[in-house]
Amino acid sequence: MADPADYGYAVSRLRAMENRLLDQGVYQRLLDSEDLPSALKVMSETAYGKWFLEQQNENTFEPAIESELKHVYTETEQFVPDPCLYRIFRLPYDIHNIKVLLKGIFKQKQGGQRRLDLLTSLGNIPVDDLVMAIESEDYRLMPFGFHRTVPESVSIWEQTHDILQVERILDQALFSLQIKMADEVAFEGVKLFARSRVDTENIRNVARLKRMGFDSSQAAPFLHNGGSVPVEKIQSLINEPYEGWERILSFADVSRTLSGAQDHADLDSLIVDLEKSIDDFLSWVLAKYKYSPFAPENVLHYLWMKETEAKNVRVLLIGIGNGAERTVLRRLLRNV
Amino acid sequence: MDQLGIMLAVLGAALAAGFSGSGSAIGVGIAGESGAGIMTEDPGKFGLVLLLQALPGTQGIYGLLTAFFAILKVGLLGGAVVSVNVWQGLGVLFACLPIAIAGYYSAIAQGKTSAASIQMIAKRPEETGKAVILPAMVETYAVLALLMSIILLNSIQI
Repeated sequence: MADPADYGYAVSRLRAMENRLLDQGVYQRLLDSEDLPSALKVMSETAYGKWFLEQQNENTFEPAIESELKHVYTETEQFVPDPCLYRIFRLPYDIHNIKVLLKGIFKQKQGGQRRLDLLTSLGNIPVDDLVMAIESEDYRLMPFGFHRTVPESVSIWEQTHDILQVERILDQALFSLQIKMADEVAFEGVKLFARSRVDTENIRNVARLKRMGFDSSQAAPFLHNGGSVPVEKIQSLINEPYEGWERILSFADVSRTLSGAQDHADLDSLIVDLEKSIDDFLSWVLAKYKYSPFAPENVLHYLWMKETEAKNVRVLLIGIGNGAERTVLRRLLRNV
Repeated sequence: MDQLGIMLAVLGAALAAGFSGSGSAIGVGIAGESGAGIMTEDPGKFGLVLLLQALPGTQGIYGLLTAFFAILKVGLLGGAVVSVNVWQGLGVLFACLPIAIAGYYSAIAQGKTSAASIQMIAKRPEETGKAVILPAMVETYAVLALLMSIILLNSIQI
């Protein structure tokens, strides 16, 4: 673990890099765009522009967003003293890739087709290495404990053919790893962020499971340990009307994600808004560290802002491409 | 005993220059790290960054100035060496302490404030004036310490 005093260079550089983030003016111009080509033209004038120029298909944007995020991660890796700080952010992409590859193998065994196009280059593990390890079933050299998690997932699927159980194991591995990495660096804000992510994921899961009609005992396996709020407390929410969830969790910061829950007409509407509330809550968790010029948490803050920006761009471009109401799109924008 | 008096005065001068210089080196280093971070992204801010990085360097100059006064007082810098008894030597040593101590700590504090100000101008270059004032406030206490050291040195009769 590096000393916080070692972060002077990194934090300053990130402060300068923040100037490259999209500002409200760009979001407004995107919202004012008539169609997707004009929105993409706006994007080509931003930091994403160079990636749009390299694209062969003019009407796609996902490769450009991915390239920009990858560029930011690669750049950040060069000067951040503790690798755990950016690995925490790249882990979900590793898990995503593992899920894609495992599902591809399972589908192939059932006569379906693999979807390698869904793989992302944003993970810690190079895609080629991951494909090689999983397809050859040679898991020995997989990092982050995946050499145990992946064969366990394959074994579970072979016994049950239940893909949800496989997803659950991989998600649990993701959150355990994030918390382990946060504990390794031992910076207060990093630990808080990792635990808050578990809390928000649990709340998201409870809302979805309640909508699907699950009861408390059925929901238990879908909740993850390691958050600030005990799993039992979050599990109990499923038996309560969603209007009272904020009050029940009022002792915890994560209740901010549910502020205004009682104003929603139904659970579907709450779930749509919950995605934005969760992202805004995680931004809030990290925002307090931006006032310290040497806090390592500023690395997380910047990477989170970049991830949130990418989400905003996706929401806007997909919405504009599908002719969505601009007022709806504006409501879905996260605070950056 | 004259030798001991002289040695105490020299020790005072060494502490004044040494501690203040060390503090300045640390402070300038802290601000420099921040400055390098900003300039990697925006080399055009070199002028502003240099100004803010130089601020914690003044304590080193104050320490050096005090050290000169101290050794001048005992005649080690030109002219004949004067007779200095132990109490006079101790007086010179104590007179050097304000700038030695305040110089060391204020330079580090100023370095941190300068680093924060450098980060401020990275995002808001139009606020450069305010960014310079904040670390300059820390300078006040180094100047007060310098004044006290000089007054004390002048008040010692040799």
